Amino acid sequence: MPQRAMLILLILLSLSLSAPVQAESAKQLIRQAIDNYRGITSYSEATMTIHRPDWERVMSMQAWTEGLDKSLVRITAPKKDKNGGTLLIADKMWSYAPKINRVIKIPASMSNQSWMGSDFSNNDIARADDIIDNYTHRIIDSRLQDRVKIFTIESVPHENAPVVWGKEIVTVTEDHVFLRHEFYDQDNILIKTLTADEIKLIDGKRISLRQRMQKNGRDNEWTEFYTTLIKFNIKHDKNTFTLANLRNPG
Amino acid sequence: MNTTLNFAWRNIWRHPRRTILTMLAIAFGAALLVFSIGLQLGQYDLMIKGSISIYQGLLQVQKKGYLDEPKIRNDIKDIQNLARTIRDKTGIKSITARANGFALVSSEQRSYGTLITGVEPEYEKLVSSIPGTIKEGRYLLSDDSHEVIIGKSLANNLRIKTGDELTLMGSGRDGSIAATILPVSGIYDSGSKELDRNLIQIPIKTFQEVFSMGNAGHALIFYHDEIKKEHFFRQQLQQLIADNNQLLTLSWDQLQPGIKQAIELDYSSGWFMYLVLVAIITLSILNTFLMSVLERSREFGIMLALGYKPFNIAKLVMLEALILTFFALTLGTLAGLAINVYFAVYGLTFEGMEEIAQMYNMSATLHPQITFESILIGPLVIFIFTILSALYPAMKIRHLQPVEAMRKI
Repeated sequence: MPQRAMLILLILLSLSLSAPVQAESAKQLIRQAIDNYRGITSYSEATMTIHRPDWERVMSMQAWTEGLDKSLVRITAPKKDKNGGTLLIADKMWSYAPKINRVIKIPASMSNQSWMGSDFSNNDIARADDIIDNYTHRIIDSRLQDRVKIFTIESVPHENAPVVWGKEIVTVTEDHVFLRHEFYDQDNILIKTLTADEIKLIDGKRISLRQRMQKNGRDNEWTEFYTTLIKFNIKHDKNTFTLANLRNPG
Repeated sequence: MNTTLNFAWRNIWRHPRRTILTMLAIAFGAALLVFSIGLQLGQYDLMIKGSISIYQGLLQVQKKGYLDEPKIRNDIKDIQNLARTIRDKTGIKSITARANGFALVSSEQRSYGTLITGVEPEYEKLVSSIPGTIKEGRYLLSDDSHEVIIGKSLANNLRIKTGDELTLMGSGRDGSIAATILPVSGIYDSGSKELDRNLIQIPIKTFQEVFSMGNAGHALIFYHDEIKKEHFFRQQLQQLIADNNQLLTLSWDQLQPGIKQAIELDYSSGWFMYLVLVAIITLSILNTFLMSVLERSREFGIMLALGYKPFNIAKLVMLEALILTFFALTLGTLAGLAINVYFAVYGLTFEGMEEIAQMYNMSATLHPQITFESILIGPLVIFIFTILSALYPAMKIRHLQPVEAMRKI
């Protein structure tokens, strides 16, 4: 799923480990939020709604994840795209098109292209933890809401970091639920915003079930990712994250 | 007046050598201007023609908003029918329908993202130079054949040759996964590295099928090599699509604003050079005129004493300048014209121009443009400046006092 989304998803799917955060530096906050997903496996089912002024498309999918580095997404509906999918291993990405029975490796040059026609880019779904070391983080706001501490962190990429954004602003709770993620371009103009809500406690982790990626200035164009089912700490088959499995659902 | 004219004529030839030298200076300047302006405009023609003939065309019909947001859903329904109707009504064949998309193309070994265009092969040949630059294999056969042509750079990058299979994957109009496998039937070398690396073409019906487009497409492309008639053709097109207010006609400079900007930039820097040239010519002429007036102080003094009005003497001097400039410019313009005609026929090639030419997809041979404006504008500017420079010495005469003037040498 969307990379950041993944991040988010993952993260998002976030879990709140219990370790209360103290004296966090901004970087630590981000690192801990991301570390929450390390070593955690999950299986989830979700629907993705791509909304445009004149049409809307709803897709259903299943997702398997293992830590931050491995994930597999498979489309279950609509019928036309059933069994199509994406496999992510570290920063490598493959797509499977059942129509032609081929697996295609997505090159790095495509990272800004849309993922499955949504408002998430390949990059959004594929990158996970490079936000930690490629950025300088600074807490610009913290507040208390419903007795949960919420931090707003500004992350600016280092001079030569291989990233497309000029700035990102992340809102995260002290128990590691990402609430909001804003993406700014090099001119500091807001391009898109990922928001997360419907936070539920599942398997002892607080996670957000609904995430919406919204392009700035286009109220009528967004992609919403809704998690209908999620389980953590699943033992995956050892073939789960392989090209063969991507190609042969079943 | 006749007397004045007579006088002026005789005065001009009182110093034949000086007069001829001055005339040659003006003529040389004029010839140089005519030649460089002709060359410059010829070069612009070449740039424009080179750029529009390769792919984008002189005019395009698109759905409103497509230019800014080339999304697959910003489409024109029943596009081939529309193209056919326009071809029938105008009698012009060089109009074709296209559908555009984005796809990830991969060979056995590698993947790249490229633009992909669905074309009508029969008419594409009349609109774009790409079909004519197939270096290996052949162009697409028909509107619905299952095959793809790709650029040479992309073929090298993908390490494929004709006959190999290419896998395409993208997003269809309905958001579904668009995917297909097509054999490469031809490899083109358009001269534009950007296109060669980033554009592949498949037949339009194949495109519509793969990308779930129905019978829709994204643009009608119109080509004609008389760029000057753009306005006329545009109106014609506009009328034919008037019943659909979702469509609009775009000209080459809207489609490829970069070319026009490059031309405008070059044009203004060109004019700066020309003005420097004109200023140098003007100053040297001013010098000649001033000398000839100052040294004739005694003559003017006598004329004043005889009852000639200062105004008439000034008129005489102006007339001399006018006659001299006129003949010089005629000579220079004719010389410049002759040079331009020669090169227009035989062409002009510079050492090292080929690389620049390739960048703009131009041929490396220049043919100066010969039009009314390109020939006359340079001489006209020189004429105005020369007359202005003759005005200064002529004005000086008004202050001459007969007695003082006669005493001067």
